[in-house]
Amino acid sequence: MPETNPNDSIRAAGSLVCVGLNYKTTPVDVRERLAFPEALVPEAVKNIRALPGFAESVVLSTCNRVELYASHELPEAAQSHEALRNFLVSHFELQPEHAEAMALYKLDAAEAARHLFRVVSGLDSMVLGETEIFGQVKAAYKTALETGSTGKALNKLFQQAFAVGKRVRNDTMIQRGSTSVGSVAVDLAEKVHDLKECRVMLVGAGEMSRTCAQSLLSRGAKSIIVSNRSYDKAVELATEMKGQAMKFDEWEHALHEVDVIISSTSAPHFVIRKEHVEQVMRRRRWEPLLIIDIAVPRDVEPAVNNIEGVYLYDIDALQAIADEGRRERERQLALCDKIIEEQLLKFGFVGS
Amino acid sequence: MRADVSFEGSEASTGQNARKGGFIRGLTDCQKQPKTLFDRLGGSIAFLAQGFAVFVPSSLRKGSSLASITFPPLIPLTSIFLLAATLTFAAAVVQALLALRSGRWKQDNTQILLMAIGFVLQTAFLYHRGQEVGQCPMKSLPDILVFIGWSVVLLYFLVGSGFRLSLLGVFTAPLVTVVQGLALLQGFNPYAVKGKINALVELHAAMALIAYAAFALGCITGIMYLVQERLLKQHRIGGLFYQLPPIQGLAKAIQRLVSLGLVLLSLALAISFALHTPVSNPKLVFSWIVWGLYAVIAFFMWRHVTSPRRTAWLAVVGFVLPFISLWIVTHA
Repeated sequence: MPETNPNDSIRAAGSLVCVGLNYKTTPVDVRERLAFPEALVPEAVKNIRALPGFAESVVLSTCNRVELYASHELPEAAQSHEALRNFLVSHFELQPEHAEAMALYKLDAAEAARHLFRVVSGLDSMVLGETEIFGQVKAAYKTALETGSTGKALNKLFQQAFAVGKRVRNDTMIQRGSTSVGSVAVDLAEKVHDLKECRVMLVGAGEMSRTCAQSLLSRGAKSIIVSNRSYDKAVELATEMKGQAMKFDEWEHALHEVDVIISSTSAPHFVIRKEHVEQVMRRRRWEPLLIIDIAVPRDVEPAVNNIEGVYLYDIDALQAIADEGRRERERQLALCDKIIEEQLLKFGFVGS
Repeated sequence: MRADVSFEGSEASTGQNARKGGFIRGLTDCQKQPKTLFDRLGGSIAFLAQGFAVFVPSSLRKGSSLASITFPPLIPLTSIFLLAATLTFAAAVVQALLALRSGRWKQDNTQILLMAIGFVLQTAFLYHRGQEVGQCPMKSLPDILVFIGWSVVLLYFLVGSGFRLSLLGVFTAPLVTVVQGLALLQGFNPYAVKGKINALVELHAAMALIAYAAFALGCITGIMYLVQERLLKQHRIGGLFYQLPPIQGLAKAIQRLVSLGLVLLSLALAISFALHTPVSNPKLVFSWIVWGLYAVIAFFMWRHVTSPRRTAWLAVVGFVLPFISLWIVTHA
């Protein structure tokens, strides 16, 4: 990256503003009113740029945030904030009471740059350190670029933000570990099998097991079998996941064919017992078997974990791993913010 | 301190020293002489100067005023290569341990670069040692250890990337450091001069040693499997867990490495039939025992007689036999 003249950035940052709302400031019933449909973002970007005194604009609209970034030539940042607020009200045709209830953050210059750097790095996300936001900001910038709505200031700002985002992720462990039960299940499955060859079986079709299965499928799991006491529900879920439904009294027959079992029945006793799994391991040629038991009361006899090649995780074990992942990421926050402050200084957004 | 070899004679003395008993013996001879602290300090300075002297072309040295200074016997160039290679692998171990301990380990280029530098230095050692002894340097235990260390690193580059076994270098570097450290401690003796080199003998020995290297890498992969398996069983999901490969991949890698070693050792033993070696030759007897052991392990893997965990244990513990046999046959 070419050397930046700090004075250029300070001048550019002087006209930079950001107006937005996110999951911290605004409840979902208000956020959903203010979300820009993807197809309408280019038009919105052009409309903001056409506002009097505005030179450039980028619209970032995700399920957790709506943010408008712009550069302007107005004498006061407050004027530009007001103009952007009014744009949102008129664009979404908000009733006065909704407009009043809209809690926006209004940032300018270095604050706006700092906020964007934190957003791109995943530090402002609901799941700390998540990576999806990086792609979403890139897509938002690309849309604005393609409509010709960005210029020197925003091009520079967003390029710097992407560099900072990469640096934060590379130099810290903000992405390390899993923070949800679904992602822990995926991580475990990845360390037992090659996910592309991984066959999954759901015993019981609860909401949590559906989430875990979807996470595995989205990461490339090969196939899925759904077995449930209500066969209709099994068929419904199997159809949704492009898998195969199985009657509940047949799940044992498929035990030797699958690599991951996610169990979440409402049975008051153990459904998967040690003898079920022991019998099948030789037939499986000792291929490792991951069993994720998210039922309460538990579906899988704990002694199953003593069988060679079988790895059993119940809901408490999964939750403990997810909690540790979150704590680990929180411990990284200070380091991430330090990197961002260094970069703000380097790019000239703040003075030394 | 009075040294017995001048600068001009450095190259000749290097060879002489190598023939006298190598790096450690050369050092021991030098260190016996200093009596006082001053002598020892002088000895150390002279020792450092030797390292420099090795890299100064003789044409430059002759005209130098330094020529009049006398030094103890020079460290052989071969030993410098080996020492440097060993230190490089040790640095790879330290770098990886520090990174893992701080939880900041990533499969980056530093580890691969250190392993590559170590490999180049190992290769340079083997080349110069081969020049010194006029044949493939595989006759004495230290030479065999270095050759196995070299083969392990070669296979690491070939197999590690093929199987995408991250952290394999972290587990390989300590083994190579220990193996080469042992070789350095033993010192390098001269060989009996060979009349004519038999290509089949050299091929037989080289293939057998590369087979042992495959078994060594199988042992390392077995350790990785056992570590990952333990982490999974005990729900210890942390830094190392995320860096180690899936246990299914590790189990397959062990199987392939054992099979590769077995095929190479089989070929080496097949060649021995053409050499008319007596059946009672200790090297041959131990080679057949090692072959038998790994044939059983390979059969267990092929027929899935035991669980991958037990097979991993066999690959780890089984390597003790070829390792000990090397010492026995070279001292028999």
